Formats: sequence, C-alpha cells, structure tokens
Amino acid sequence: MPCGARLALPLAAVLACAPAAESGIAVTFPASAVGAEFEVLRAQLERFGLLHPEIRVLAQRTPDAADQRRQLYVQWLNAGADDPDVLQLDLVWTPEFAAAGWIQALDAFAPDPGDFLPEALRANRWEGRLYALPWFVDVGLLYWRSDLVESAPGSFEALVREADRAVEAQRVRFGLVWQGARYEGLVTVFLEHLTAFGGSILDERGAVAVDSPRAVRALEAMRAGLEAGLVPREALSWHEEEVRFAFQNGQALFMRNWPYALALLRDAERSRVAGRFAVAAFPAAPGGRAAAALGGAQLAINARSDRPEAAWRLIEFLTRPEQMLERARVAGQLPARRSLYEDAALSGILRVPVGQLLDAIEHAVARPATPVYAELSSHLQVWLHRALSGQAEPADALAAAAREMRGVLERARLGPGAGGEGGP
Amino acid sequence: VSPGGRTLRAREVRLAWALCLPALGSIAAVALFPLAWAGWESLHLHDLRMPWLGRPFVALANYAAALRDARFLAALGHTAGFAAVSVALELALGTLLALALDGARRGLARTAALLPWAMPTVVAALVWRFLFDGPGSAANGVVQALGHAPVAWLAEPWLAWVPIVLADVWKTTPFVALLLLAALQSVPAELVEAARIDGANAWQRFWHVTFPALRPALLVALLFRGLDAFRVFDLVFALTGGGPGTATEPVALYAYEVLLGELRFGYGSALSMTVFLATFALAWLYVRLAGAKLLGRER
Repeated sequence: MPCGARLALPLAAVLACAPAAESGIAVTFPASAVGAEFEVLRAQLERFGLLHPEIRVLAQRTPDAADQRRQLYVQWLNAGADDPDVLQLDLVWTPEFAAAGWIQALDAFAPDPGDFLPEALRANRWEGRLYALPWFVDVGLLYWRSDLVESAPGSFEALVREADRAVEAQRVRFGLVWQGARYEGLVTVFLEHLTAFGGSILDERGAVAVDSPRAVRALEAMRAGLEAGLVPREALSWHEEEVRFAFQNGQALFMRNWPYALALLRDAERSRVAGRFAVAAFPAAPGGRAAAALGGAQLAINARSDRPEAAWRLIEFLTRPEQMLERARVAGQLPARRSLYEDAALSGILRVPVGQLLDAIEHAVARPATPVYAELSSHLQVWLHRALSGQAEPADALAAAAREMRGVLERARLGPGAGGEGGP
Repeated sequence: VSPGGRTLRAREVRLAWALCLPALGSIAAVALFPLAWAGWESLHLHDLRMPWLGRPFVALANYAAALRDARFLAALGHTAGFAAVSVALELALGTLLALALDGARRGLARTAALLPWAMPTVVAALVWRFLFDGPGSAANGVVQALGHAPVAWLAEPWLAWVPIVLADVWKTTPFVALLLLAALQSVPAELVEAARIDGANAWQRFWHVTFPALRPALLVALLFRGLDAFRVFDLVFALTGGGPGTATEPVALYAYEVLLGELRFGYGSALSMTVFLATFALAWLYVRLAGAKLLGRER
C-alpha cells in the first residue's frame, strides 16, 4: 500500500505503513471497539485505501466512555492540535465543537444531506451550517413483552394501565424499568417522557422550557411510577446494563433501552425473554407525541486539519449506504439514512422487524443543539434525580433546574436576552 | 578558617542548603508551582468549552460565586459530616482492635486485620456497592430478616451514607489500629502490673495507664484520618457517584465535576483552592493546639 498524502482519523495505527503518526489522516474511534466495531472499520478503511491509494488513514483509539472521550478531545482541540483530522463525535457535541471553532463547516464540500435522518442532521447544524455527518444512530426504544401484552401500548396511560395490571397479577415484578441514575441516560429517559407530554428542554427560540406545566406533568408521571412501585426505586442507581438485566431475567413488562440490547435479549442461552419481546417508540400522553431519544455517532473534521479534502473524502466514504449496511450487519449499529429502512437488506441483517425500528426512528427527538448542552444537562440531571428520589417536588425541582440552566446560557452569552444571537 | 574567610559553621550551613536544594526544588516543582498555578487560574474566568469568552481576569469573582453556590456549600457540609462520623467510628473501633491485637497471636491476626487496608479503594467501594445494591442484596437480606421490606439504599438521601461510612470504617480502621498498636506496645508492662497490684480494675487500668500513653498516637491518627476523610473522592465516586441528587457529594467530587466534567478551569480552581485553604487551616490549627500539647507532655 503506497504512502502518499497523509490523513490522521484517532484508532491505533491500523493501516500504518510508516510509524510516524503525523504522516496519516487520523480518525478517532472508541477504544472498546476491539471486536466487531473494529473489524468493520478496518475492512472499510482497507477498501478506502484501494479507492484512494494517495491517502493513508490511521485509526487512533480513544476512551470508550463518552465523557472521557470528550475531555480528551477538548484538551487536544483547545491546545490547537492539527490531528486527529476526523473526529467521531456524539450527537450532542457537534454544536459545542462548532461554536468553539474546533471543527469546520462541511458546506464547502457540498455534502448531499438528502437521505440522512432529518433529526440527526438538525442536531449536526450550528448557526445554519452543517458541521458533521451522521455515521450511525441510536434511538431510545420501548421494549415490551409480546407474551404478556398483545400490542405495544398506544398511549402512556395504556402503558401505565398494563404495567399496573401485570404487577398486580404478579406476572412480573416491575411494570417499567428505565435508566434512573444521575447521568446522561436519565436525561434521555426524561426527554422521552417530556416529549410524550408535549414539553421540551429548550423552546424553538432556544430559551429554557423545562419548568413548563407540561414538563412538570412529565416528571410527576415518572415519580408516580416510582411511588406506585411500577418502576423499582433501585432504578435510581441503574444504568443501561442493570435495566437490561431486569428485563432479560423476565422481571419487567416494559423496558426503556437502546438498540444494543436487541441482540443480547435475542440470545436464548442467556435471555429468558428471547422471542418474547418487541420494540416501539415511547408512547404519547395527552397533548404530546410518541418519542425516541436520538443518539449516535457523527464524523466531523478538525478545524486545524491540514488535509481537510482528504478527511472529507473519508467521511463521505464511511457514510455511504453500503458502508452503513455493513456496519449494521457486523456491529449491529443502526444506519443513519432513512432509505435503508425501506431496504429489504436491513431487515435480513438486523433480524428484527424493521417496521418497529422505523416507528422509533420516525419519532426520534434530539436533545437541544447548543454549545453548552453538557452543562445544561448536568444541572438538569441533578434536579431530576432530586425530584425522583423525593428530595424535591417536581415543580420546584424543574423551576430550580431552569433557573440554573438560564444562568449557564447567560454566562455563555447564548440564548434569548443574553445579547448574542446564539453564537460567539 | 577557610580561604573565603568564613567559619567552618558557615560553610556547613552552605553545604546543608546545597544538599537540601534538590529536595526543595522538587517540592517547589511538584507542590508549590501547581498550587500557585491553581491560585492564579482561580482568579480568571476560564471555561475550556466556551473559548469565545476568552480568559479574562475576574479577581475574586469565582470565590464570591463559590460562597453563593448552594451545591458547593452542601458538599462542604457533607464532607465535614462524613469526616466527623467516620473518623470517630474509626478511632473508637481502631482502639478496640488494637487492644485485641495486642493480646492476640501476632503474625496471622495482624495480617488478617490489615487486609482491608491493602485493598484498593475503588475495589472496596464496588464490593460495598454490590452488598447494598438491589432488592436481593446482602444488606437487604439483613433488613428482611429483621422483618422490614427491602430498602433502596442508594436511592435514599440519608441511607446512601450507610454503605459509604461502613466502607470507609471497614477499610481504614486497620490503619488506625496499627498506629495505636505501636503506641500500645510502648506502654511498659510494669506500669500496668503496678496498677493491678494497687487494685485498679480493667477500666481504671485502661483509662489511667494505657489511654494516656495512647493519646499522642490517637492525635496523629486523628490528623491523618481527618485530613484523608476531608479529601474523600474515590469511595463516593464508585459507590454512589454523589447521589441521589447530590445528597452524598463531597467537595472533592464536586470540584472534580466542575474541573474535569464541565472543564470550568477558573471556577473549579477556586473550589479546589477553597478546599485547600480549609484543610490547611484545619491542619495548622490542629498542629498548633495538639502539637503544643504533645510537645508539652514530652518536655
């Protein structure tokens, strides 16, 4: 393989034909991606190499935990590092990195946005410009026991009613399980309840709206579930895996979790619910709509990259439909293009009715696109957790959260009434 | 008299300084410099994630904000409460353990007693979390045996402290015991023997003979454990993450979240400096008061 132009993507040197790290395009990649995720990337980078022998790509590993990865990126980019050239970003980071001037707008490369999921594209825009392309998506799913109820609940009330009945009849221990620990996962669970009740975290103008009456009703509904024993109180210290164990052991009628659990729950050797569950979007309450919190990975270009053209070619290649299908097949990660969900190939690959996933994906709701999302979220997490653990009333908690979040926007000189039009 | 016209003593002083210089230099490099840097940083508005704000000098604004920050003040309260309760328990239990070990068959018993101290804190925290987490946990087994419904320990603001304090006591009591054991063995057997002959009962022998000999070691243990408990981080981080809400959040964890989670270097440095000044003041006061007493006794 010839060593021509160089690009650096952060993975350890996978395809390096020379040891010097600065002589290739570096692409970031979570370090845990040692198994399937790594295989698929390696295969794709090899094919890219055949197509573009003049570009050499290095894959550079980064920590798996999202928070640590972001810290690392911020430190690199803040120090003005010119590699990695291509960064794998979480959905909620794009505006932050764009506003800080750390990643470059992709408009110059005339990307074709037509086919990508609109909600994912929206989350990758900042001040009207597109800064990253969706690579794969994650959506919050409501898993339900198809052996205990006939269909996915059509409304939030129906969900509560059925959960109640199943717990009453002692067919399950818990009605509903979700991620209730104080971390980002709790915000995504809240976002689904919030959307179901017709509320939002920020309104269309970018002003904080978590203290609206609808938001209070959403949080009260979450707390009512805990108080009625439909949701176990232990869930307040649960992350994804504890929640999955409860459902997988047949203890819960409904579970809110990400698509990664699909394959694990289908494994009849370990799962007691194999073949006895299905998925849907989180159902609507009166005045709201069904919702599925959106997450996933995007690819963006370091603003200081000295080979942006090559970096763009790589991004364009990795986000093609056929690469997304391969990624879904090998690593189980959902494609970020709408058309693939109408492709028969995908249902064969995922072995799950694609209609159910599409239902969730069409109800996808992104978290607010703001450069200070992480800080807003950390204030919200604290108050949500206080309200759910009974240390504050939902209305008071959300009022306090809103006050703090407005303070963050003001400090950042962002948002309405803060003097800026939403950017530096 | 040396060629320089200095006395031998002056030359020795110079040599002593020269010999100390590397050590002093390293202390300056690894302790004083970072401290000064953090102090300087704390006088700026420096938010790594809002580079458009620049890094303006804001004098003491960060400190003023810290004093109005309810979460920070609550964290200070949590830390002080945790330090008081856990250290009190550790000193009491450590004394008992030391007395027991003093009589026990030495090697094996002491090694066994020291095991918790040797375990990495994060591992210990995860073990204790496992013991308390979930309806089927060991702790809930005990609760149910007592005829009570299972408790969600980590979801209750007060109960979440139980595994934290227990884990800390379990882990550090051996350290206290070891310190006290050393002191205990310096108590001459004749003194205890003489007290016995004079008709003192076991309690009187302990209170009037053994305990006074233990006091210096107890004060040292109190200082070490107190300062350690004030900096508690890893135990809480792994056990409760500071939750529910922020009900078990100590200052070190909050400062960490602000500094490395939110990357607010200015404000986070101000929080850290506040904690540093508080612990430093405590240590200084303590050494002044207790140290005087100790030295006074020895003189």
